[in-house]
Amino acid sequence: MHRLYLVPTLLINVVIIFIPALLTVALAFFRWDGITTPVFVGLQNFQALWFDRVFWTALTNNLIWTGLFLTIPIFMGLLAATLLLVARRGSMFFQVIYFLPMIIATAILARVWQGMIFSPVSGVNGMLQRMGFPTIDPLTQPSTALLGIATVDLWHWWGFLCVIFFAALRQVPQEQIEFARLEGASFWQIMRHVLIPAIRPTITLMMIMTVIWSFLVFDFVYILTQGGPAFSSEVLSTLAYRSAFYDLAVGKAAAVAVVISLFGLVATAFYIRAQTREFQS
Amino acid sequence: MKRRTFIAGTLGLLASSALIGPALAQGKTITWWYESADPKQQGYIKSGIIEPFNAANPDFNLTIDYRGTELDKQMRVALLSGNGPDIVYTAGPTYVAPMARAGQLLALDDYVTRYGWNDRILPVFLEMGKYDGKLYALPKTYETLGLFYNKTLFEKHGWKAPTTIAELETLADAMLAEKIVPFASGNANWRPANEHYVSIALNSIAGPENVYKALKGELPWTAEPFVKAIDTLNSWWQKGYFGPNYFSLSDEQSFAQMASGQAGMMPSGTWQFQRVNTYFPPANAEVGFVGFPSAEGVSGPVYPLGVGSTFSVAATSKNADGAAAAIDYIFSDKVYGVMNSSWPGEWNTPLADLSKVQVDNGLPIYTEAMKTLAEAVGDNQYGYTTWTFLPPATNSYLVSGIEEVWLGRSTTAQFLEQLNATFLQEKADGKVPAIPAR
Repeated sequence: MHRLYLVPTLLINVVIIFIPALLTVALAFFRWDGITTPVFVGLQNFQALWFDRVFWTALTNNLIWTGLFLTIPIFMGLLAATLLLVARRGSMFFQVIYFLPMIIATAILARVWQGMIFSPVSGVNGMLQRMGFPTIDPLTQPSTALLGIATVDLWHWWGFLCVIFFAALRQVPQEQIEFARLEGASFWQIMRHVLIPAIRPTITLMMIMTVIWSFLVFDFVYILTQGGPAFSSEVLSTLAYRSAFYDLAVGKAAAVAVVISLFGLVATAFYIRAQTREFQS
Repeated sequence: MKRRTFIAGTLGLLASSALIGPALAQGKTITWWYESADPKQQGYIKSGIIEPFNAANPDFNLTIDYRGTELDKQMRVALLSGNGPDIVYTAGPTYVAPMARAGQLLALDDYVTRYGWNDRILPVFLEMGKYDGKLYALPKTYETLGLFYNKTLFEKHGWKAPTTIAELETLADAMLAEKIVPFASGNANWRPANEHYVSIALNSIAGPENVYKALKGELPWTAEPFVKAIDTLNSWWQKGYFGPNYFSLSDEQSFAQMASGQAGMMPSGTWQFQRVNTYFPPANAEVGFVGFPSAEGVSGPVYPLGVGSTFSVAATSKNADGAAAAIDYIFSDKVYGVMNSSWPGEWNTPLADLSKVQVDNGLPIYTEAMKTLAEAVGDNQYGYTTWTFLPPATNSYLVSGIEEVWLGRSTTAQFLEQLNATFLQEKADGKVPAIPAR
């Protein structure tokens, strides 16, 4: 009888996740412009992706993005959270400051960075240029566009990790930290041997979620560069969006979406495995 | 019946008649989804179209819903599910054929006769809106590309508006020497702005006859005239004609730079006329506009024809007559005069005869440009904009592909090869829009 409580959530999942997901997978095997009747083409959309250099650029960019987000914000978040733990004074204030970018809508953040920081006309970048500094707008160069977008997202994201890690660190028994201090452990030694092992499950979860979210990244890329210039910041989700709504190639877009899901699926498998181990231990 | 029930029932009846009454009095509703418009522009539509149409047609109640820049995506999803508005506002002729093929649009041929559109609308546009011999769409506005320039800056330096590509390049080099950006341009807010320059190069350098042949599949996009056109466009980029901040500026910012004299010319579309009064008078400058110069062997200037949006009636519309009546009203001399007076550049409906139209927007240069374009279209002497005549994936590739050429990530030959391959695929799939005979 108590299993009936699962029905509402299962129903919602089936209607808004499972059925659309199945339809997307099915569409990946059709040629469809989003308007007329779909035509079954087998694996043609996947073959087309295999030979599409933009797809490989997008996939590489997603991998670079994942690498960036698995290292920089996690390191910054851990470091800041540990400092908040050590120096408790003002920790609430700093938590609020760090978390603030997270509660601002991404579209607004992106426009603020584009217009007030990067722009050579109205931004800090332009002010520096007028002062004689040879700065560039990173969004305009193929070599820096992706990094420019990542900078905005990192600024928005790391504070969230910091707050999560800080909440986890507060659960670490104070005696363990005190004991390490009495033993003469340095800050880095405490971090390496006490704090990080104690919050490893939280870090693992955040890393797995980072992988999943990195393959779903869309908003900042689309608003700031739309994948340009010259496809240099194209990611899988912008490629899927462009295919579906500009090229009217919904089947190809669905094939890209399937590839995105595969990466999410692998990360989810790792997550479930990690959770199972945790429960067993 | 209890007294309380009686009172509640009476109040309910009164309330419902109070709500339904005015709705019935307003006539049968016609729904129209429109793209983005700022409050001022919404006011122009309300006072110039909605209110006078409803006053003149008491049987109908035209309503408008502003859906923002993603209107075309919303429209496709809505039509696919059998919903959507009565008046279908598409993002251009490219979308008309698949929508008509899918049975989402109503054939307008009966209304052509009823409203005399054959006599009132330029024939080219009636041809462009056809699919399988039937008319499904009319363009809301048509536009062309040309060369805006800062007349005051030109007079100060003794420069003249160029008439050939050679003159244009000499002038642009002189501007670079004066540290003036030759082409005010930017795509930060609208990445497809790239295709404005490709359209200009294809028409003014390769020539409209060759573009026509390529669109009909009689000449590959890899042919020599197109190689020359893209090579020339690339040489302009490499020489710095587009300035150092192309990817950072919006077209409005670049227009402002031209008005202030930081940039000298702006190869762009007639929709830029709506910005003239905002930026030129405060800068104490005067604007000039000419057709874009042509290369040797191409008689010009060529006016590439562009249609960025079209009107149709939904096949599922329960008020098709009302929707057609509203479209017909928009194609009246009165609406042309009112809308072009308040919002120049955005409501250039394809009327065949503009002699009776009164336009008062303080921009005689705009009226003159539109007249020249109408004559060029009437004489079949027009060019082809890529967003109007190329199928969707070809056009989408063109926008990003030209950036690859500019930034040295691909060659002209590679770019044109992929463009041609994508075009041939889409042509085989029947996605190339109707190309009126020259």
